[in-house]
Amino acid sequence: MQVSRNTFWAGCLSVLLLAGCGDSSEPKSQEPSKDVMTEVTAFYAANPDFFGFKTETDIPPNLIWEDGAEQPEIGSPKATKGGARYRRMQDFPRTLRTAGPDSNGSFRAYLLDDVGMTLAKPHPQTGEMYPGLAQAWAVDKPNKTVYMKLDPRATYSDGTPITADDYMFMFWFYRSPYISDPWYNSNYSTRFTNITRYSDHMISISLPQAKPDMTYFATSVRPIPRHHYKEMGEDFSDRYQWQFEPTPGPYIIKAEDIRKGRSIALTRLENWWAKDLKFYRHRFNMDRVQFNVIRDTAKAFEAFKRGDIDQFGLGLAEYWYEKLSDNAPDVEAGYIKKAVFYNQRPRPPFGLWINTARPLLDNLELRQGIAHATNWQLVIDQFFRGDSSRLHDSNDGFGEFSHPTLKGRAFEIEQALQYFAAAGFSQRGPDGILINATGERLSFTLSTGYASMKDVLTILKQEAAKAGLEFRIEVLDGTASWKKTQEKKHDISFVAFGRFLEMYPRFWEHYHSFNAYDTAFLEDGSINPQRKLKTQTNNLESFAIPEMDQLIEQYRASEDKQEMIELAHRMIELHHDYASFVPGFYQGFFRLGYWRWLHYPEEFSYKHASGPGELFVEWIDTAAKQQTLDAKKAGEKFETSITIYDQWAE
Amino acid sequence: MFHFNPQTVKKLQRFRQIKRGYYSFLALAGLLVLLIFGELLVNSRALIVSFEGELYFPTYAAFHPGTDFGLDYSYETNYRELKHQFASQGGDNWVLMPLVPYNPYENHAPGGIFTPLPPSTEMQHYLGTDTTSRDILARLFYGTRIALLFSLVFMASVYLIGISIGCAMGYFGGVFDLVFQRIIEIWSNIPFLYMVIIVFSVIPGSVSLPLRIAILLIVMVLFSWTGMTYYMRTETYKEKSRDYIAAARIIGASNSRIIFRHIMPNILSTLVTFMPFTIVGAISSITALDFLGFGLPVPTSSLGELLKQGTANLRTAPWIVISAFSTLVALLTLVTFIGEAIRESFDPKIFSIYQ
Repeated sequence: MQVSRNTFWAGCLSVLLLAGCGDSSEPKSQEPSKDVMTEVTAFYAANPDFFGFKTETDIPPNLIWEDGAEQPEIGSPKATKGGARYRRMQDFPRTLRTAGPDSNGSFRAYLLDDVGMTLAKPHPQTGEMYPGLAQAWAVDKPNKTVYMKLDPRATYSDGTPITADDYMFMFWFYRSPYISDPWYNSNYSTRFTNITRYSDHMISISLPQAKPDMTYFATSVRPIPRHHYKEMGEDFSDRYQWQFEPTPGPYIIKAEDIRKGRSIALTRLENWWAKDLKFYRHRFNMDRVQFNVIRDTAKAFEAFKRGDIDQFGLGLAEYWYEKLSDNAPDVEAGYIKKAVFYNQRPRPPFGLWINTARPLLDNLELRQGIAHATNWQLVIDQFFRGDSSRLHDSNDGFGEFSHPTLKGRAFEIEQALQYFAAAGFSQRGPDGILINATGERLSFTLSTGYASMKDVLTILKQEAAKAGLEFRIEVLDGTASWKKTQEKKHDISFVAFGRFLEMYPRFWEHYHSFNAYDTAFLEDGSINPQRKLKTQTNNLESFAIPEMDQLIEQYRASEDKQEMIELAHRMIELHHDYASFVPGFYQGFFRLGYWRWLHYPEEFSYKHASGPGELFVEWIDTAAKQQTLDAKKAGEKFETSITIYDQWAE
Repeated sequence: MFHFNPQTVKKLQRFRQIKRGYYSFLALAGLLVLLIFGELLVNSRALIVSFEGELYFPTYAAFHPGTDFGLDYSYETNYRELKHQFASQGGDNWVLMPLVPYNPYENHAPGGIFTPLPPSTEMQHYLGTDTTSRDILARLFYGTRIALLFSLVFMASVYLIGISIGCAMGYFGGVFDLVFQRIIEIWSNIPFLYMVIIVFSVIPGSVSLPLRIAILLIVMVLFSWTGMTYYMRTETYKEKSRDYIAAARIIGASNSRIIFRHIMPNILSTLVTFMPFTIVGAISSITALDFLGFGLPVPTSSLGELLKQGTANLRTAPWIVISAFSTLVALLTLVTFIGEAIRESFDPKIFSIYQ
């Protein structure tokens, strides 16, 4: 996994396809012989503190090397290689670049996160690190440095060996203005302090703090093939738009498999360098994984029922209980299997993000009233049919770092009315909505970019009206809604952030005043009357309290896990007291239907897995495919299979 | 006193003779009246509540909190429950509910989960419920009302702009005509659907529901008036060269008098024949926009939204698509029948007398 980028929860993002993007695989007018390496070397020389060059004798002798060998294998020994898997995607990727404009789309997972390789990754079962491109690593905590022995066998898909220089180049690459990607630019300049090359297969990476999860951070980087980007320049975005970057991973994308707007396919490398290694030998089993663009979900479901795609996520209750119910003919006859897998991982914080910079919403009592007027329990019971659970704060699922006892505010009309009355709204108007002394109605816009969740909002609207609160629902296009919240123009936004498998939650980006206002407070600590909202940050609540700032800074600087846990709990309490977020719900599992020719390991998946496809442990029984389709035609039946894997249920 | 001229009377009589169109017209007019007083037929508010000897008529009044009827909550009374309660108490209190006791927004899930329910007279969900347990009949009813009113206003606005500009182009001619023709050519090349999508993605949510509907209307009108101008322009050109216009001018009639008193009545037949088809177009496009998700704002009831739900639940809840589709077909057929009848009765080939 990359140093994870806190992506907008893009489940239902629908983006208009950019038709007619120029195919720029051919070098343009620039001289073909250009070599960016002179520029790169000059950059190394100009930043000697960041880019170090030493020899192996400089490595401290007493390091304790770890190699993750004791971690359990991933995947099933029963898995066989071969076959083609067909999947659905909602939108065609807008680019094959992994940095720069539009590169943060959902297809990124198949270029980097799920398929690409990093130095080491957290094990989906234990959370401990298992090796990837590094054979072993050692932590030098006092010097905030992690040393890494690179696997000398590792090569890119084009056969070029991967060496320490590719990691050096990676830092230049991500810091380069050519990629037009401010997130990478800032992340790779501030979250790392040094990379040093000791030999072709030995590097070290230093971090600003020796956080408890520093190994995870330092090993989360990936090499970038410097030979591929030799001609890099101002035209980076155009030049590499549809070029597949050589990968250390098992799958490549061939130029002939890119059918723009229609489909794209991954092809397995026969001679992948890691194919016999412990953590990889039972994974990445299919020879080909083809993604077909099917925009409409109802249509995709029909395609699944025809067997055109092998698997379909049944997260929504109506799909699990009705459209593919347990006694649907295809399920009863055993053609399609159903499975639920309970997992444990940080939960996307679905809930109402209240913009406290808006008039009225800056009132604490009013916000508390809103929280009590929001009937999530009804949504969970009736819309999700009791499958989802109530989220209690915005950082659930981080183990010890999550608050052990805090509960989200319950739907209580009387209590809500009391809070609204305290905020000046005590009279009901002719339509039952509260008004204050000046005749102002208690009415706020509730916007979202999730068209599939609009029913949730209409339920909330109906219920809130009982407490005299009006929600004006605004369902925008995914991108438009995200833009609106990023510009802090929302009253209340129903949104969630993607959460990665990390040890501890991030508070700075959501709750630090730095991300809320330009200068939030004056020097004496009082509120700056002239402060201006800061846009394009993830502080969607315009949350700014000096006490929180101080806790966050302490938390960021802390290198002691226990202290960080206590700080996290205090910050979560503070955030709860401020009532600027109404926690909604989370789904503690993933569930799906899949054709019987698709096989999963006995345990199905792993404790911390986010979905069935993430680890590529499934395999295809090619003979069974024809057999199943023939049997379906002939009316033959197999054993029904509906399995609930609740070994990790919380 | 207003008198139709004998020719118009003749045309109207002819219209009455075309039975199919005439009965369609009566049916639609009746439906419109029903729809306008819809709150008395399809509503979660009671028609009459008799409580402690006093009569209440909540339909068009301000809301009654539960406490008004001896209940323990301060939000809007649930009249269906109140009815049951009064019935079980057996006192003198009673509630008279409308025919369909649901409003189009409430989620009524008797089973405790939101799932489409098949039609049931016992539950008084005569056409079943949609995916979030809202009564389909109520949503269809109010969806049709909005669609019809929307298309009537749409037609009126399009005609107002189209006629004024078209007549002016035809009557004044020359540079004015030339300039406007070019403007219209450019304007009509702007893709309408994209404009709607763009405009709707930038409208702030603080805009109230009626205003949002009005904005949609304005956008649609702005991109639809151009077609009308061409017909008006040619008709006006034709009429303008007639002798009676020259005569009127010699007498000293003003331009506006000539346009509105002399030319307009003579091109009315062209105009009237277009009307029903404009309405058909408006209903179809608002439905299509809703179907695509760019039409009326959530949670307004609309035919397109129901159609969309229906197609997504073809197997599990066929009653959604059946009712939405039949309503749409019936509505469009009625309007088309009327349109054909009007065209036939106004056809100049039979009734016009050329000099």
